[in-house]
Amino acid sequence: MSRDVFTYLVGGKAGEGVKKAGSVAANMFAHMGRHVFQMDDYASLIRGGHNFSVVTSSTREVTSHYMGANLVVALDERSYGMHRPHVTDEGVMVFNSDAVVDGEGVGVPMTTEAGSYPNPALRVGVCGIAALCAVTDLSKDELADVITREYRHDLEDNIAFAGTIYDHVREKTDKRFELAHGSDGRRMFTGNEAIALGAAAAGLDMYFAYPMTPASTVLHYLAAHDEELGVTVVHPESEIAVANMAVGAAAAGAKVMVGTSGGGFALMEEAFSFAGMAEVPFLSVLSSRPGPGTGVPTYTEQADLRFALGQGHGDFPRVVASPGTVPEAFRLAAEMLALVWTYQAAGILLTEKHLSESRVTAEFDPSSAAWAEPVAHSGRDYRRYALTEDGVSPLLFPPSPESIKWSSYEHDEAGITTELGEDIAAMHDKRDRKGAALTEHLRRIPTVNRFGNDGPLILTYGSTTMSVREALVAGGIKARVVQPVYLEPFPLWEFADLADEPAIVVEQSSTGQFAALLADRAGVDATDVILRYDGRPFEPLELAEEIRSALG
Amino acid sequence: MQDDLLTGAENTWCPGCGNFGILNAVKRAVRTLEERGIGRDRLLMTACIGCHAKIFDYLSLSGVYTLHGRSMAVAQGLKLANPDLKVVAFTGDGAGYGEGIAHLLFAAKRNADITVVVHDNGVYALTTGQRSPTSEAGFKGPSTPHGNEEDPFNPLVLMLEAGATFVARGYSGRIEELADIIASAVEHEGFSLVEVLQPSVTYTNDYERYEATVEAIDEPADTLDGALKLVRDRERLYSGVLYRADKPSHGTRLYGERNPVVDHPGRDDRIERVRTLVNG
Repeated sequence: MSRDVFTYLVGGKAGEGVKKAGSVAANMFAHMGRHVFQMDDYASLIRGGHNFSVVTSSTREVTSHYMGANLVVALDERSYGMHRPHVTDEGVMVFNSDAVVDGEGVGVPMTTEAGSYPNPALRVGVCGIAALCAVTDLSKDELADVITREYRHDLEDNIAFAGTIYDHVREKTDKRFELAHGSDGRRMFTGNEAIALGAAAAGLDMYFAYPMTPASTVLHYLAAHDEELGVTVVHPESEIAVANMAVGAAAAGAKVMVGTSGGGFALMEEAFSFAGMAEVPFLSVLSSRPGPGTGVPTYTEQADLRFALGQGHGDFPRVVASPGTVPEAFRLAAEMLALVWTYQAAGILLTEKHLSESRVTAEFDPSSAAWAEPVAHSGRDYRRYALTEDGVSPLLFPPSPESIKWSSYEHDEAGITTELGEDIAAMHDKRDRKGAALTEHLRRIPTVNRFGNDGPLILTYGSTTMSVREALVAGGIKARVVQPVYLEPFPLWEFADLADEPAIVVEQSSTGQFAALLADRAGVDATDVILRYDGRPFEPLELAEEIRSALG
Repeated sequence: MQDDLLTGAENTWCPGCGNFGILNAVKRAVRTLEERGIGRDRLLMTACIGCHAKIFDYLSLSGVYTLHGRSMAVAQGLKLANPDLKVVAFTGDGAGYGEGIAHLLFAAKRNADITVVVHDNGVYALTTGQRSPTSEAGFKGPSTPHGNEEDPFNPLVLMLEAGATFVARGYSGRIEELADIIASAVEHEGFSLVEVLQPSVTYTNDYERYEATVEAIDEPADTLDGALKLVRDRERLYSGVLYRADKPSHGTRLYGERNPVVDHPGRDDRIERVRTLVNG
């Protein structure tokens, strides 16, 4: 592993400011111009339990966190026990000596020191930042600057408290890590923020959602910035209401998006099929957690692939795509909003907790984003479902003297219910022509990412792409990585040269849904399928070992 | 000459069905609204699934033929996207009081500015006569051959308690009164519910009962308690506007005077807004 990679891990109970300490550390690295990858591991609770945040940074691009940490800060006993093995050979453990008896490393009486201030339990997270500044050789003034920039409340007490912890750490260890700076400060975004911004850049008018982790932060981000962006955000009574309100809003001409996780999507499936029949431009974000059922709300998995591809009863064109990085999430959200409006199709932006909630340094160019614009009708004699060559019937929105009828029933060109055999077949043909036009469109744009020119073939998708790419760097393994971004319509044309090649498939599911899709659609016969399904993302060094052993 | 409010689609309601009365009342209400400045170009409708919903195919108004129980949610989406529209959601007792009741309750709770017209015939007619949420105990249908083992609930009590700011009852046999009620409901700013007593000639031929028990009132109740008393009366079925209150509508409270599909930023504006956020 490159020596300029520095990993920081802070762990403690929920409510102690662990996530905050992770984010502040990440911002510090980004401020230095370093590339950063922050992964938060937290349980579905508000207080107690065990949370940790791991932040890897480097002067080169990093596409994953590493579990081996140069600095571990353990705010409680459980974090000390759990993360002791994660301290690298040259690393250091800073722990709360009030909670850990006879610990190895740098013991600091964090609880005792916090006791000198109001709300001591909420303050402990600050120790993580004090320790980080101490071992990365920043001055106390620089520490005070960071606290001032990042902690808005109770600044005086927090600066004094951080200073005390800093002194403790400096006194007890000589360990100093010198971190190289980049040229300019960098900005950090989560995958969900990128999705929200990408959709907004493409013209999103309204976002409807019911909270469900790990999709909720799309809702929170858009709600927090609704006026700045000009996006209306609505949180109704259920996912069923979400999806149906979105259908109504789209029929009034609003560019809409909805978002949820697997369970919420199960409730939206009815409306997804409705959108298929009524030809409503309908974009949804499906951010996966481990399933089935309620599953594991705050962890990651890719086991909703088959669910996404088969959404909705009946035959109708669907578009499903999954971004592999945060910048790709931005680009794809915009592109998909435009696609569903061009083809009046139902689409799913499929992602996972690991991309939705990981925070990384990234850049976007809003002016390069696609823009959603439907084919518009002009003049009289409007028929909502007019039969056209490419199956796309021009859109018209109220108020209008024309009668504009959208329907979930099979319908004639005017949108009136029909049960005539010739009408039913004609409308199926129309929707199928639209699907074919959509596929033709995809043939003209990039649908598959390829990394590397030679070496064995690795196939992966979604957030696992980041893990695979970092594993190859970490392990010094030469390989080609192929990542289909579009999964439906499946970009078969991109796989013509790959079908007969031995390939390793890497994904986060227990049954190998992606490998099965590749076998079924592209005839790819994987020699090895590397799976992880414990809710945790792949760790680059561990994955590098698995890839190496698969290569034999 | 063809009626310009009809599409010409073949009408397949049973002869004598209460739905004809509702269709005629709606047509009359549309013309009244046009005279009062609400043109049909901005009067939209949604419908659920069931006998009531065929009105979507017959009336030439724009809108969305939705799923069973979902017309209230789709109507709210239309209205939120473009508050200049007036939206009438047609539903039945099965769709509105059963499958979609959460949407109905929440539309009332948030004072969504839509009108819901419930064709309440006390039966699932289109699916061949099963009991509905408003069927009496003992009602025999193909799913309850031994008699309905549940009691009906009183939907108007629910609506009033949920926060509806306009609650009315009409009877499909009294078209003029029903037309007036529907026109007033559409004009009302905020959530309006029109419960229509509608005999299904095939399954619940209640014409005689309704002729004997439906009694028009001239003025809405002064208070919520007064309205609750009116709708709880099971001997006299009071018709007319039973309750009316002034309260800001959902859209106004959500985004004020903005219109999401009219006042939306154009491409360059939007790109700048996103850029500002991205660059912090």
